[in-house]
Amino acid sequence: MPPAEIWIDGLIQSCIYMTMAFGMVLVFSILGILNWTHGQFYMLGAFVVYYAVSSWGIPFPISLIISGIVIAGLGMMVEKFVIERLTAPGYGMLYVTAATLALIFFFEGAAGMAFGLDDKGLAMVLPGVLDLGSFSISYQKIAVIAFTLVIMITMYIVLNRTRMGLAIRAAAQEPIAASLYGINVKRVSLIVMGIGCGLAAMAGSIMAPVLYVNPFIGRVPMIFSLLAIVIGGLGSLTGAIVGAIILGFLNSVIAYHVSYLSEAVLFVLVVAILLIRPQGLFGAPIK
Amino acid sequence: MPYFDYKNFIPKSVAWFVAALLILLPLFTRNSITLSIFISSGVWAIAVMGFTLILRTGQFSMGQAAFMALGAYATAIFTLQSGIPFWPGFLLAGIVSGIIALLIGLVVLRVGGIYFSIITLALAEIIRIIAERWESVTHGVRGLRPPLPPTISLGGLEINFATSAIPYYYFMIILVVITGIVFWRLEHSRIGGTFSSMAANQILAEHQGIHLMKYRVIAFTVAGIFAGYAGAYYASFLSIITPQMFGLWQSIQIMMMSIVGGISSIVSGALIGATILYTLSIYLSRLPIYNIQYLLFGAAVVLVLLFLPKGTGLVDLWGKFWRKVFREPEEYEIPEDSEMATE
Repeated sequence: MPPAEIWIDGLIQSCIYMTMAFGMVLVFSILGILNWTHGQFYMLGAFVVYYAVSSWGIPFPISLIISGIVIAGLGMMVEKFVIERLTAPGYGMLYVTAATLALIFFFEGAAGMAFGLDDKGLAMVLPGVLDLGSFSISYQKIAVIAFTLVIMITMYIVLNRTRMGLAIRAAAQEPIAASLYGINVKRVSLIVMGIGCGLAAMAGSIMAPVLYVNPFIGRVPMIFSLLAIVIGGLGSLTGAIVGAIILGFLNSVIAYHVSYLSEAVLFVLVVAILLIRPQGLFGAPIK
Repeated sequence: MPYFDYKNFIPKSVAWFVAALLILLPLFTRNSITLSIFISSGVWAIAVMGFTLILRTGQFSMGQAAFMALGAYATAIFTLQSGIPFWPGFLLAGIVSGIIALLIGLVVLRVGGIYFSIITLALAEIIRIIAERWESVTHGVRGLRPPLPPTISLGGLEINFATSAIPYYYFMIILVVITGIVFWRLEHSRIGGTFSSMAANQILAEHQGIHLMKYRVIAFTVAGIFAGYAGAYYASFLSIITPQMFGLWQSIQIMMMSIVGGISSIVSGALIGATILYTLSIYLSRLPIYNIQYLLFGAAVVLVLLFLPKGTGLVDLWGKFWRKVFREPEEYEIPEDSEMATE
């Protein structure tokens, strides 16, 4: 049985992948595409918080929200100028996939140019450790967990209790019927892209004080949240959450037991899950 | 007087002229940097052809670079550890990566679409991680130094791979021509038609009696074989293999080359896409501002995709250009909604 720290680490990872995967699934269910640039929005969000806190001295909670809003705007611009034009009828999924893949290079290059390639550490904004007898947990990590809970509850309320949420769910189910009922599906896609990218940015921001910031931090969370979505079942929000929890805990527990080749073991498990249940845990069966 | 079809003849002769120029390139320049740009473009073009072939069956492979790694490591390990000569070792590259592609394909191709993409991504990462951690065989991140091809003497002519890039250049041309012929034949044979029908409408194809799985495995294996040769060649040319040379980012580069080059023609689309994007990335990396090359590379790819006509790549501009020159009306294109991967 691994020690409690390993489980806490797994929980932290689950939280981050969950926030990222939730946004990706939301975008997928409305726009019908996988946004490969999601990890780069995570990275840009972390940079926004880093500069907001260290250069301008804005308090961390406010800069967290600022980073979410700024990156949500950026995501909307990407949707407006790239994704919307490449998902027009007659294009097929290939072109928008290639474009979002190319945007990875674009954003990483831009971040490297503007902010440099070295690791930047953000000083602990919540110093201190909570001692719980047999193990201890830093307040920063508690903040990550609390933040994820708040985000998930907020998203639940937004999706289930507001008119906007109703429009999003309708557009995800039947875009054409939804537009017949007076829902502006284009506007819904724009908003959903904004929400998704904002979530990714906030995940990056909340992790910035725990880890470090450089232009390439988005790659690993991106791949892991992608795997989480696919394990959970593409297009299912519950699936994304469960997939992220499974993957986060698996990652840290496997790394504890087999440090050598731990990622390879993880990927083998993912492949095995997909071969046994190709549609994912919560997905509708294929065909 | 026999009818002279100049509308067909002129574009063809221009294309042959360019090909002849490429074959005679070492006469004009012995600059090893220029040659190495063409050599690397050729290597990526071979991998891109494989990717496009898989794409033709409606699947989106995200791990093509891993097969290059397999080929490269296979040659290096067989020649270094079992002491077999270079050329049989080189032949083994494609056989090993082909067999592994066949085995993986038999298991993985049952699930199609995005799940196939994710599984190939995961497998590519597994191969990279194993290459990084299996220190005793692959030397981990420090990399292996694969052997050079031995000097060949043909009559009075000595072909020495160690002293100049020109033998490598011709070796690459031979490799690209062989690969091109194989893929061209595949594309324009019955099997190529079967592939296209699978991409256009999977369910209809299956109801016509096409065994989807069989053709997917064929495409995946052929792509794996040639990616293996490309990788083995590339490692021998650079005389180093590291796991980072053939990672996920190289697979992504292969995808972008394929789609920007155009998927309407496997061979020429791959050649054009690989050459243009690779040359672009090399010239961009010479810019004085650090890291600007990634920014401009990404921007260039997005702009190409945005401003090309719907659903075409750079290769389709060739036909468009000649139709403009001969003032022919544009071809009417049937709108296609094919079920290409990621949907």
